[in-house]
Amino acid sequence: MSKTNPKMTARNVSVFYGDKKAVDDVSIDVGREHVTAFIGPSGCGKSTFLRAFNRMNDTIANARVEGRIELDGEDVYASKMDVVQLRARVGMVFQKPNPFPKSIYENVAYGPRIHGLAAGKAEMDEIVERSLKRAGLWEEVKDRLAESGTALSGGQQQRLCIARAIAVDPEVILMDEPASALDPIATAKIEELIHELRGRYAIVIVTHNMQQAARVSQRTAFFHLGSLVEYGDTTEIFTNPKATRTKDYITGRYG
Amino acid sequence: MNKSVERTPTDWNGAAMRRRIRRRYAAERRFRLLGLGAILVSAGFLAFLLVTMLGNGIGGFVSEDGGIDWNFLTGSDATDPAEVGIWGAFKGSLLTMIVTLALAFPIGVLSAVYLEEYARRNRWTDMIEVSINNLAAVPSIIFGLLGLAVFLNVMHLPRSAPLVGGLTLALMTMPVIVIAGRNAIKSVPPSIRDAALGVGASRIQVVFHHVLPLALPGILTGTIIGMARALGETAPLLMIGMRAFVATPPDGFDDPASVLPVQIFLWSDEVSRGFVEKTSAAIIVLLVFLLAMNGIAIYLRNKFERRW
Repeated sequence: MSKTNPKMTARNVSVFYGDKKAVDDVSIDVGREHVTAFIGPSGCGKSTFLRAFNRMNDTIANARVEGRIELDGEDVYASKMDVVQLRARVGMVFQKPNPFPKSIYENVAYGPRIHGLAAGKAEMDEIVERSLKRAGLWEEVKDRLAESGTALSGGQQQRLCIARAIAVDPEVILMDEPASALDPIATAKIEELIHELRGRYAIVIVTHNMQQAARVSQRTAFFHLGSLVEYGDTTEIFTNPKATRTKDYITGRYG
Repeated sequence: MNKSVERTPTDWNGAAMRRRIRRRYAAERRFRLLGLGAILVSAGFLAFLLVTMLGNGIGGFVSEDGGIDWNFLTGSDATDPAEVGIWGAFKGSLLTMIVTLALAFPIGVLSAVYLEEYARRNRWTDMIEVSINNLAAVPSIIFGLLGLAVFLNVMHLPRSAPLVGGLTLALMTMPVIVIAGRNAIKSVPPSIRDAALGVGASRIQVVFHHVLPLALPGILTGTIIGMARALGETAPLLMIGMRAFVATPPDGFDDPASVLPVQIFLWSDEVSRGFVEKTSAAIIVLLVFLLAMNGIAIYLRNKFERRW
């Protein structure tokens, strides 16, 4: 890989659901200050692979991960790795906005509270405000923090979920098609937000929207049928793909 | 594109079409009448029960000089129908229900949580699941025999006591709570679990901070159905000796006591005319107890109901 000292690395990772192999022998580096995009047609294993990074696949019965994934050189699947801490360090934003049916404030404060990140009410207020500001939601909700998070619009809900994820001060944020359930304006806001968050967090985004990958990412990985076809600089992948499968997908022959 | 066969445009006002519409409306009307009839039959029976109970039983609350019969409201069983009171049986029911709830609710909910959130799917959990479903359908008299055998003959707990009654009824109520609890937990959307896990909540935090609060309305509904059944249960309590003649209200969980349905059963069996009135009056008290329990359940459910 061109960049040294990656934030997360995957080596020969395969993910199985029972006997079915969903991800086949994928090796990839996730850069510290990059947005890395995983693209590919539906069912190509990109979301499954993403969920291997913070062990969300653990919750699925009969899912099995082989190979090695490291966070700053630490084996994520080692028995001494604490899953709870791992998921705090590697946050996640899901495809469908899923705020807790609690107040906006509680949504953001939940993570810091369970990890004991705030010493008191004042500090918690500060974390909530900072997180909502970073997620670009503060101005819209600052006067109604006590209202339910589920009462917000879809796009606002997704930004609330991003605020919730960054409230625990993660090192990596995994985004699983964060804009696929949103309208174009809300999508644009999310993409803008990803731009602003870059550098502070390593970001991995799964998307089946190629324009989105081209707009927000610096590195792009193309998956097809569970395997990694091509991985490189986004501009390179989109202008000069090496594999014919990549070229066909990008030019819209299938997908 | 192949050439399609020439078709005459649909005649929306033709005779056949009109007949069709008429038939549809007739079917709607028939169904509405049928549904109304079904409701009327069940409501009619309920009204009949209430009216006869009130008609027969209201006299049970009135003393000879026309005021409220305080003796009936504060006393216990007696041989003379003019002397009997309902308080003893009421207190017995209350104590029994407390024991039942204190055991069946936590054990039932924890079992439901364990089975849904922790247990792996295998032959053992399948077997446990089948047993629980069967247990919920076992006739109550069998639980009475079980209570007699275990609590009285093996553990030597006091006979006729609310403690033993409550234990026996808890055995009967638990499966109902487990089944209702599992369904309620299952209906919590997985996205909420993902969200909590995603910010680094442990499994127990996911359960207690998110899943249980969201499942609580459903769990409460199931609990109250089970408790209402337990409150009206007579047969298992007869087996553990709660049919004894108890002339003083119970002082504690290990004091001999009667319960409302058993008291009704005993009074309905008496030959003396005066007991007819007292039986109906006791039924009114039992129904009021049930209504109060349901009312609390509905209040709690609405209080905890959240949307997502």
